[in-house]
Amino acid sequence: MRLINLSPSRPLAVFLAAVPFVAVLIAYAAGSEIRLAANPADKLLPALSTIQETAVRLFTEGDRRSGEILLWKDTWASLSRLLGGVAISASLSLVIGMVVGLLPMFRSLLSGFVAVLSMVPPLALLPILFIVFGLGETSKVVLIVIGITPFMTRDLAQRVLDIPHEQLVKAQTLGASSWVIAARVALPQVLPRLIANVRLTLGSAWLFLIAAEAVAAEVGLGYRIFLVRRYLAMDVILTYVIWITLLAFVLDWLLKQLSRKAFPWMEAGL
Amino acid sequence: MTKAKFLTATALTLGLLGSLPAQAQEKTDFKLAWSIYVGWMPWGYLDESGIMDKWAEKYGITVDIVQINDYVESINQYTAGAFDGVSATNMDTLSIPAGSGVDTTALIVGDYSNGNDAVIAKGDMTLADLAGTKVNLVELSVSHYLLARALDSAGLAERDLDGVVNTSDADMIAAYSTEDVKTVVTWNPLVSEITASNPDAKVLFDSSKIPGEILDLMVVNTETLEANPDFGKAVVGAWYEVMGLMAAGDEAVLTAMAEASGTDLDGYQAQLAATEMFYDPAEAVAQASSSALPETMIEIAEFLFDKGILGEGAPSADFVGIEYPDGTITGSDANVMFRFDASYMQMAADGAL
Amino acid sequence: MSFIQVRDVWQAYGGRSIIERVTLDVSEGEFVSIVGASGCGKSTFLRLLLADERPVRGTITVDGGDVAVEPGRERGVVFQRYSVFPHLTVRENIVAAEGFNTASGWLFGAAKRTSRERADAILARIGLNHVAEQYPASLSGGMQQRLAIGQALTAKPRVLLLDEPFGALDPGTRVQMHDFLTELRAETKMTVFMVSHDLEEAFKLGDRVLVFDKPRWDPQDPGLYGATITYEFDARDGGMPYQHILDRYPSLKPQAEPAPERLLEPA
Repeated sequence: MRLINLSPSRPLAVFLAAVPFVAVLIAYAAGSEIRLAANPADKLLPALSTIQETAVRLFTEGDRRSGEILLWKDTWASLSRLLGGVAISASLSLVIGMVVGLLPMFRSLLSGFVAVLSMVPPLALLPILFIVFGLGETSKVVLIVIGITPFMTRDLAQRVLDIPHEQLVKAQTLGASSWVIAARVALPQVLPRLIANVRLTLGSAWLFLIAAEAVAAEVGLGYRIFLVRRYLAMDVILTYVIWITLLAFVLDWLLKQLSRKAFPWMEAGL
Repeated sequence: MTKAKFLTATALTLGLLGSLPAQAQEKTDFKLAWSIYVGWMPWGYLDESGIMDKWAEKYGITVDIVQINDYVESINQYTAGAFDGVSATNMDTLSIPAGSGVDTTALIVGDYSNGNDAVIAKGDMTLADLAGTKVNLVELSVSHYLLARALDSAGLAERDLDGVVNTSDADMIAAYSTEDVKTVVTWNPLVSEITASNPDAKVLFDSSKIPGEILDLMVVNTETLEANPDFGKAVVGAWYEVMGLMAAGDEAVLTAMAEASGTDLDGYQAQLAATEMFYDPAEAVAQASSSALPETMIEIAEFLFDKGILGEGAPSADFVGIEYPDGTITGSDANVMFRFDASYMQMAADGAL
Repeated sequence: MSFIQVRDVWQAYGGRSIIERVTLDVSEGEFVSIVGASGCGKSTFLRLLLADERPVRGTITVDGGDVAVEPGRERGVVFQRYSVFPHLTVRENIVAAEGFNTASGWLFGAAKRTSRERADAILARIGLNHVAEQYPASLSGGMQQRLAIGQALTAKPRVLLLDEPFGALDPGTRVQMHDFLTELRAETKMTVFMVSHDLEEAFKLGDRVLVFDKPRWDPQDPGLYGATITYEFDARDGGMPYQHILDRYPSLKPQAEPAPERLLEPA
């Protein structure tokens, strides 16, 4: 039988899916044990049990000085920056993408500009962002917005252009104005793509957020990671990394569910 | 196959292990890491000029000197075992390798900061005015310690501030030029850059007010040094050859260091003026053996403990023991992880290398 | 003056002539089939009728009105594909034919209710009331085209333009659609243009069949000349108009018999 026709059974599929996770865990545990045998105070690869203890402490115990649970404070600060930035990017890219996709005048005006803009590495502009937007929350949100909006805008504009011309003509023969075509033909058909785009760009958004928090911050997940790096507290860093991964996974899952619930017609033909 | 071998094989296969902690055994190849800072520029020159190779050859070893762009990363790499030694301050040596259980010896006391680290404010301010304001600095760094000492001198503490904002040193100059930043604490060359380009910048406090507290060291793994005294001799011998050239004002040497640090001869000499270099090994021995050093280290340990840097496992500021050249120990004698060893510098002073 | 006037229409894309010198008069209620080889400009002519494109020369008017510059409710259309909105249910697609004509694009309150009732009546007429809540993607090709025609007719256009409407359907479904279209036409007396590549279909449904072809051909530069109407057939009565030849030309009848009472005017 050809390899391309060889599919795993259900239990085997579950087992295969678990293999990479287990392998990483075993390799980590092994590496950690070797280093700890050489130096019991080694901080680079803390034991899994240490990470677990640290995680419990970080999630439940307050800071020695302020009494606040820093992890939740960091999570709240980072999530509001992230979601704020993504929400602004999504709205901006939707509006600009629709305008560029539907109106030839604006397409001529903006599509070249957006294409060039999406090639600019935003991190290199950080000093300018700081001077224009200050060191506070604004510049962090703006970095996310600058980082992901051009890409999303280009993609959404292309999606609007991909709507069959026949549909736009049809809507016109039913008397639809430009506004009605935008609101009732184009918008509902690009919204699923917008959610898909948000899912795709969340990874970059996290990256920009953590970069911004590393540069100047008093609170946030990225801030804490870069701060404790200074004394090599890998147990804290690893807990935060696992937590960020989990948050990102949950966000992605929620968006997927939203897309399914909100756009039943996407699945009608399947 | 033993369990350890099996584990090593597994971990290596998956590429996770990285480098193992330095093993205490005789060897002939050594690696030092350094990062750009006025007092550490000689390390780059040692490497380029071949002076290090010459001394290493004399003792039948090789010493590879590697520049790391990120200071904290260089110390982390050393702590993880990728290097046998690293250029670091006394404070960061205590917090990172010693705090992580890597027994570390200060082989060379190169200099102390004598104005290179500074608290800079905009306009006419005093230290007392900092109460209730925000201060931008690299948190948990020497700057943070300097701020604590500065506030201390004005009868304030960090809790009297509106907080500190962790700001990357790479972006400190841009941060200073924004409206909402009022005060920064940073080090050279950023200090001279900020004061030169901002006429209203005022230095409220600098490290010349706390002489001998911020020491720039070359620290090495204690076990490696004990097993390979020739490694210590070669490094110290090479270092003081360059110190002699610098003390003599050799312009070619100083220009090479200036260019490597991204400035010109004048700029570099201005930075050196704010640095108390120990060109003479006898001075370095005196600094390492100073009776003030234990007090400074206790103060630093307390600062680190207060900030939670010594780790959650640290029950008190005395958790890590520090040994001085005369054999006295501050902190826990059961957990001595940081040692000031003046014997190699003494050999240089005696011309015994 | 005829209902639809096409006067000396030319169309070219970037120097390539597509159609040239097309002149045509169509009466209200006529069904005109347009046939021709691929690339002969018959779909271009339909887009010109639709005002989706403007000709480089010539004019097209409906009922003596102004020359249209863009598609509108006067001219309905059904394409081979993509004629219905995939994100709207079957009923919403019909309601859209009324709702899209408002300022907001939505109907509210009583207007919405009555529009839904009318939509349900139309769905019952076109046999889609049992799938009113479904999305078009879950319908068969024939059902989708029935919906598209129902949607177009709901907007009550003066002219209905069909661009190979049954081209993607299997033969059995196509015959059903012919019957469906014939019934609807009998009810509405709509003026219809239909582009087709199927001659049998063109003659079966049309009153007139127009053939597009290139009368002039330059072998060095095939794009130099465009296509035009080269033949026209009377396709009434199954394409056999001579059956009524005596009705049209009573003088040919035997003298002994009296003249018929009813006269049909030629088209």
